[in-house]
Amino acid sequence: MQKKQKIRLDRYLFISVLSVCVGIFIWWLVTDGLGIFRSNVLPSPIKVFKTFLRKWVETKPDGATLFQHVFASLQVALGGYLIGAAIGIPLGIFMAWNDKIDMFVRPVFDLVRTIPGVAWTSVMVTLVGIGYMSKALVIFIAAMVAMVINSYSGIKQTKTVHLWVGQTFGASNWDLLTKVAIPSALPMIFTGLDVALGSAWTTLVAAELLASTKGLGFMIQQARGIFRLDIVIVGMVVIAITGAILSSILRFFQRKFVKGGRM
Amino acid sequence: MLATGITKGRRVAYGIFGIFVFMCIWYLATKYTSLGSVMPDPVTVFSGFFAAFVTPIGTKTMALHILISLRRMLIPYAIGALSGVLIGVLMGWYRFADAIFMPYIQMLRPIPPIAWIPLSIIWFGFDEGSKYFLIFLACFFTIALTTYNGVHSVDETLIRAAKMLGAKDYQLFTTIVLPTTVPYIFSGLQVALGSAWATIVAAEMIRSSEGVGWLIVRGQDVGNMTQIMIGIVAIAITGLLITTIMRGVEAKLCAWAERGK
Repeated sequence: MQKKQKIRLDRYLFISVLSVCVGIFIWWLVTDGLGIFRSNVLPSPIKVFKTFLRKWVETKPDGATLFQHVFASLQVALGGYLIGAAIGIPLGIFMAWNDKIDMFVRPVFDLVRTIPGVAWTSVMVTLVGIGYMSKALVIFIAAMVAMVINSYSGIKQTKTVHLWVGQTFGASNWDLLTKVAIPSALPMIFTGLDVALGSAWTTLVAAELLASTKGLGFMIQQARGIFRLDIVIVGMVVIAITGAILSSILRFFQRKFVKGGRM
Repeated sequence: MLATGITKGRRVAYGIFGIFVFMCIWYLATKYTSLGSVMPDPVTVFSGFFAAFVTPIGTKTMALHILISLRRMLIPYAIGALSGVLIGVLMGWYRFADAIFMPYIQMLRPIPPIAWIPLSIIWFGFDEGSKYFLIFLACFFTIALTTYNGVHSVDETLIRAAKMLGAKDYQLFTTIVLPTTVPYIFSGLQVALGSAWATIVAAEMIRSSEGVGWLIVRGQDVGNMTQIMIGIVAIAITGLLITTIMRGVEAKLCAWAERGK
């Protein structure tokens, strides 16, 4: 029985691998193989791969190597993200815990959060100009909103029974918050960190497309201008991979810190 | 302490008071600090927003800007929803389809829709096509994956029981799989609606001459902060409106489901 299961699993894995291989082969066929699409419409997989390898050392045509672009993007994204988390989590917890503050701040917050992160780019560029600051501020807002929402609903989902038990045993308000509410909200807070990371990374690309002189978003925008689609695709792949790596680092921490069953 | 027994009236009063204080701070900050030289005060922004319904900004009035953006969003959203649900159900039900499509979805999903802008311009031009493509990407993956998860959450015992009682494949599908999946589909649709609307600004960054995103992008180009803020107000209000409507529809249609709350 066990063995049969394993063989079936392998068969589906084989289909997956085959599916990807066929996809790449078709991509190759319509570009290099039969020449239906020229490389300024769809570059061949081989060309993209070569560009990917070469771009690590070559600065042409946008003035920086791939590593420098990734580094510039990470610097902005992580800066805004960390400040967003540092302010967003306590704010969310505070809003959920204190009823008066909640009723007071929540409507304002609900208004602000409907504004997409990309829209802030224009505001910030006009306010502080093109540069590190405007991009970091946009990402800060995008990350903070996601953080507040999730830590807020995490605290709100605390079971009232648990709070009652705490009260019966004489816990103070502070004890209830730090020993009951926050631990039970931790999975939601981590979900918030994950969502915020995603939106920080997305917003970064948008900010760099609009206003930047370095970074992955800038790179693909420049490459489009001169019809170097191989660089565009390399940029997209690197954006995806970096985002995936960041979120898997986060998941590692989540496994380490969140105790008990996942929600 | 967590919320207990506070009347709705007081809640609303506090909320309105909160917004009022926020506006006051905004007003005072622009009137009495150097922020005022770059940032318009709330009165200018909101009166500008309502005035735009009568006097056009660019070539269109505000109502038209909003409607044009809504159409730009809803067409690809509908396509994305249909194909997403279809692929999601297919992948959830047949392991074979799962094995074929899943690697592609996992590879393409981490790419932010905005990063597709350069490619979509070259593939679909500067017209509506590239905008539709972006918004389609913004909603397709979410809907496909939530539908997939929905199909997977179907209780195995129910299926086995139904099979034992002689249910045919399509009966299994309509009486067991679909009812379990619909709440998931709706939560996917809800999330996707939000991200589709958020992508409208990015989509209209690609050359456009009308729409709420255009208001913002154009405002940035000419350094008109008031117009940027008017655009943001328009996006926020419309976004709030469509998600509220969607939530209402969900509450009506999924009233029987626990998750549909």
